[in-house]
Amino acid sequence: MSELRRAAAVAVAIARKDATSELHGRQAAGSTLFFAALVLLLFGFALGPDSQRLTDAAPGLLWLAIVFGGLLTVSRLHQLEADDGALEQLALYPVDRRAVYAGKALAGAAAMLVLGGLLLPVVAILYAIPIGAAWLPLLAAVVLGAIGFAAVGTAYAGLTVRLRAREVMLPLLMLPIVAPLLLAAVKATGASLSGDPLGELGSWLQLLAAFDVIMLVVGAGTYGYLLED
Amino acid sequence: MTDVEFVIAAYAVILGGIGLYAARLARRLRIARVTSLQIRRAADAAPLAPDDRR
Amino acid sequence: MKTRALGFVALAAVIAAAIYGLFVVPADLNQGDAQRIMYVHVASAWLAYASFGVTALAGIGYLWRRDLRFDAVALAGAEVGVMFTAFAIWGGMMWGKPVWGVYWQWEDPRLTTTALLLALYVGYLLLRRLPDDPARRAARAAAVDIPIVHFSVLWWRGLHQGPTIGDPSKILNPSAPLLFVAALMAMVAAFTLVWWYLMIRRYELARVEWQIEEHGRLGRITAARRAVAAATSEEPAG
Repeated sequence: MSELRRAAAVAVAIARKDATSELHGRQAAGSTLFFAALVLLLFGFALGPDSQRLTDAAPGLLWLAIVFGGLLTVSRLHQLEADDGALEQLALYPVDRRAVYAGKALAGAAAMLVLGGLLLPVVAILYAIPIGAAWLPLLAAVVLGAIGFAAVGTAYAGLTVRLRAREVMLPLLMLPIVAPLLLAAVKATGASLSGDPLGELGSWLQLLAAFDVIMLVVGAGTYGYLLED
Repeated sequence: MTDVEFVIAAYAVILGGIGLYAARLARRLRIARVTSLQIRRAADAAPLAPDDRR
Repeated sequence: MKTRALGFVALAAVIAAAIYGLFVVPADLNQGDAQRIMYVHVASAWLAYASFGVTALAGIGYLWRRDLRFDAVALAGAEVGVMFTAFAIWGGMMWGKPVWGVYWQWEDPRLTTTALLLALYVGYLLLRRLPDDPARRAARAAAVDIPIVHFSVLWWRGLHQGPTIGDPSKILNPSAPLLFVAALMAMVAAFTLVWWYLMIRRYELARVEWQIEEHGRLGRITAARRAVAAATSEEPAG
């Protein structure tokens, strides 16, 4: 039992450390948010002035922006240790790798949740979407999506942080894995915004939760090997 | 929302924002000037000759 | 302190213009009270463009003279400009919802290009935050600003070719044109005073912060020189 508590303590400590450095260097996080908002603006230019088309595409566009911002976020959360050379120490430290993974994934999920939450009003304004009553299922979709993305992203970021073509390798490896997650998140978001006419919201949220569990388990299991490499 | 609420929202944010920015500027300027003064005083007390050779 | 006096005059002017625009001028017959938002919206947009113009000129001035005071002016213009641009967009949104029914419109090129301009200058400010020596930072910022200015000039011309969406009379066709212009000019004048005050203060702040930065840099150089001198003078002589 104390093994578990020790692991949990490590995870929380790591998550807190990452959260603190995010807050201290909040310019980086702010730039990421700005970039994601810029992507949403650009989608507006790309998909033309037809408001209806933008409104229909809004859930997909929102999640694309979250994914792009998320790539930068999970990459940044590993970059800090890599720059200081602390990554080797992290790999050598006699603690359960799964705890390290859990801590980093937790920090990543929190960062992405903030990102998604802040992008919601941007989407609401740019694509003329009334959020109002749908905010609870919408929030659920964003939370579950953030967890899933962070689960995959943390694992792959650990792998790619020391690679040379890091900037392209992370999305290249990650995005195919994340595609079903993206699909479910977009469907869930769309359903909650349109008042769930087909009654499928619940199924999509359950699918998201299932993805999250699978990816967290796989991520935790492989993280140690990915770091060591 | 009636029209009036939009007018209030517009003016409050814009005029309030200007006020906040001006206040923040004043504060940053005050702190920076104090810091600069402290640095200059410290430098005067222990002069830093650029070529400190014996 | 002349600047402080300017600040108080600016404050009084804004209050007076706001009272005039909000309470004295009667509500528009077509747009209702929402018309009043135009006064702060247009004034903000006007000063935003003035700010960015100053940044552009200051950037060129720096590249030409390499005097860091130009760079300080450029920074002040960019920061103040971003603020006024954000206010202009906010005012546009607050006006757009009651009058157009939506906060945002993709058909109106003025809205969209102003948003792009905001994005460009936020990027410019972020670029300035990257740690570097002041001369290189200033030159890089000035160089980045040139294409920005080129685009803004193009957009400016596009902006003033008249409204392109739906009902043109819904834009700036006040039912009482004289009063509208008077209130607008009052707010623009007040905002100009505010802008002048903010620019001076931001410039002063930039100069003081640069001095602090310089002290830090000189301190490190001196400490490094001392270390080298101490190391070389410790070599056994002969």
